[in-house]
Amino acid sequence: MAIQPTRRFSRTDWTHLGFLALPTLLFAVFYIYPVISSIRLSLHSWDGFAPTMRYVGFQNYLSLAQDTRFLGAVRNNVIWVAFMLVVPSGLGLLLAAILDRGIRGERAFRIIFFLPFTIPAVAVAAIWRWMYEPDNGLLTTVLDLVGLGGLAQNWLGDPGVVNYALMGAVAWWTTGFAFLVFFAGLRNVPVECIEAARIEGATPWQVFWKVSFPLLWPSTIIVLGMSAIDAMRLFDVVWATTRGGPAYSSDVLATLTYDLAFGRLEMGRATAVAVYLMAIAAVIIMPYIIYMSRRVQDSEAE
Amino acid sequence: MKASRWLAGMAALAWSGTAALAQDTYEIWHYYAAGSELAGMNALIEAGNAASPDTQFTGVIIPGNVVELRRQLQTAFLSGQPPALYQSSMAYELKTFVDGGRLHPLTDVWSRIKGDEIFPEGVQRVVKVDGVPYGVPFDLSLINNVFYNKAAFEKLGLQPPTDWDSFTAACTALREAGYQPLGNAGGPFWSLYNFYAALVSVVGEDGYYKIARGELGFDSPEFREALDLYRDRMVSCYAENWSGKTWTQTADDVINGDTAMFMMGIWVAAYFEQANFLAGEGFDMFQAPGTAGKSIFQMDVLAVPEGTEGSIAAAEQFIEAAASTEGQAAFAVPKGSLAPNVNVDPSVYGYAGSTFSRQFAEASQANAVLPNLFFLLPTSVGTELGVQIERFAIDPSDTVKEELVTTLEGLRQQALTDNAFIQW
Repeated sequence: MAIQPTRRFSRTDWTHLGFLALPTLLFAVFYIYPVISSIRLSLHSWDGFAPTMRYVGFQNYLSLAQDTRFLGAVRNNVIWVAFMLVVPSGLGLLLAAILDRGIRGERAFRIIFFLPFTIPAVAVAAIWRWMYEPDNGLLTTVLDLVGLGGLAQNWLGDPGVVNYALMGAVAWWTTGFAFLVFFAGLRNVPVECIEAARIEGATPWQVFWKVSFPLLWPSTIIVLGMSAIDAMRLFDVVWATTRGGPAYSSDVLATLTYDLAFGRLEMGRATAVAVYLMAIAAVIIMPYIIYMSRRVQDSEAE
Repeated sequence: MKASRWLAGMAALAWSGTAALAQDTYEIWHYYAAGSELAGMNALIEAGNAASPDTQFTGVIIPGNVVELRRQLQTAFLSGQPPALYQSSMAYELKTFVDGGRLHPLTDVWSRIKGDEIFPEGVQRVVKVDGVPYGVPFDLSLINNVFYNKAAFEKLGLQPPTDWDSFTAACTALREAGYQPLGNAGGPFWSLYNFYAALVSVVGEDGYYKIARGELGFDSPEFREALDLYRDRMVSCYAENWSGKTWTQTADDVINGDTAMFMMGIWVAAYFEQANFLAGEGFDMFQAPGTAGKSIFQMDVLAVPEGTEGSIAAAEQFIEAAASTEGQAAFAVPKGSLAPNVNVDPSVYGYAGSTFSRQFAEASQANAVLPNLFFLLPTSVGTELGVQIERFAIDPSDTVKEELVTTLEGLRQQALTDNAFIQW
């Protein structure tokens, strides 16, 4: 019977473990512990100030599942995901493709397109609160000037319009990020591939969709992944602009969480919403991350 | 070696300086971040510090409103490092913190400042929990005044309305003349404050307190009647697109003469004056129909978290200065609010302030001072009331009315089960 040699930790192994210890500790303290603590809190009733909590089991989860406000916030979050995946990402790609053709003033346009993304969310909200002033705001005034005053709306005050208005503001704010990533991606597409396609007689449209766009997939991963995550954790612009109103019509799960926690002092219910948000985000985003991870592995294998 | 000694010396000096600073300097947390509000708070802190040079307070602004301040306080309480003093809302807000064992009772300082004598009875009852004072008022604003553009009224020969019929007649005349008759703004507070006029008209002061105590249902005929009155007399009078505006945007509409009337807290008078739209010249005010002779008010108080002996003593010293006539005037005049202390000389105010002061004195004498219902109700009920009234103002249909009644009554029943109402 062969004796297995004893595996001893070498100095290098200890060094590796040492380097791993800190991030592992940080992950445990700042991610694992808060998640477990939140799940525990979601099973209690607590106003955030009382010295004790009352255990209520799954009551917070069950009552939320029948709450029209909660269901409305879930619906809004799902709509935001669809919007963020399509509009800012699509616009960013479009702007990047236009600018990649080498038009005059490219550098200035690059700055102009990206500039809104550098503005803090609260400032974006303040800007658009004025833009959307329903009688004298810039948007209504411009529509009046061009003879389209009939299209003017009560932008932030009509429950049927407010979400679209917020999406307009967010599109203005975040398209610059998608643009920059796609633009950098386009600049990294090998010139030989494009030249070869042109020599073969491909039209500019075919060159873009058959050659450039497929080679952009690393950029696409980043943009779509970040967009979906941003949509699920959306809070600051909505809170600073409408606080989820009027009458909950622009609520998303993060604003609902915040309002329940600090507006109504229902910490248990608020945390239950946060746990729901985590679960919903996982259901929506995890398949994408798994799919993309496999693509990366396949790509590395090739 | 020399360098390290020098550095050590500097560090010791810095540490001792910090320690000395920490001994004498305390924080007061508030959310008055700009304009007349910040000017008032700075003046109050200056007055408090001048009265006790040994203990200095610095203001720490928590941007936002009471919601953001609660978030910050919660973190501070959990870490055991609350401020020595903070700006608190009245009534149920105080009770929540008292029930959590977070606030220091102000019985001693209350008796030193003679709180039972200098503050009206209606004010006293919303700073005490089970008869013990936990907050000292410093900022009081009436919320039952309708401000109007004088030029618009004079152009049409209108007099300030005195009852619902004359109010409706004024609305009709103003709309026919091309004005937006009555401004309002989006958010859970402003429509609710307007609704109080209709509510008090129907249920009176007793009924108002019955709702606050959970004794009168949201499905009662009286509450439904108040909703109908609000819909027929005020909502029908609102400006187009009001729900998409902030209160400052609507105030601008009044200044510009697009909107003729605006029912808002008296802080709007300070906003008008800052825009050089002067009280008695550009605008004037009247008490909303149904509230003549009464004062519905919103109020902020200074609250003291449980802490060290030193911080509590410093906070109480500050409160003594803040409750004095000088301290109260120092805040109220730049802020454009009223001093809750009845001994403050009305001559410190301008035209608008003295009008509000007179209204408040008359209401106090008649024992018709009503605190904001939002803060008398359990937090979740008050907040939902604000949201539901705004929703009803946007869509005043019978369907929404019934949903409002069902939602609020469900919360009332739950609060009754939880024994959450306070017997104000």
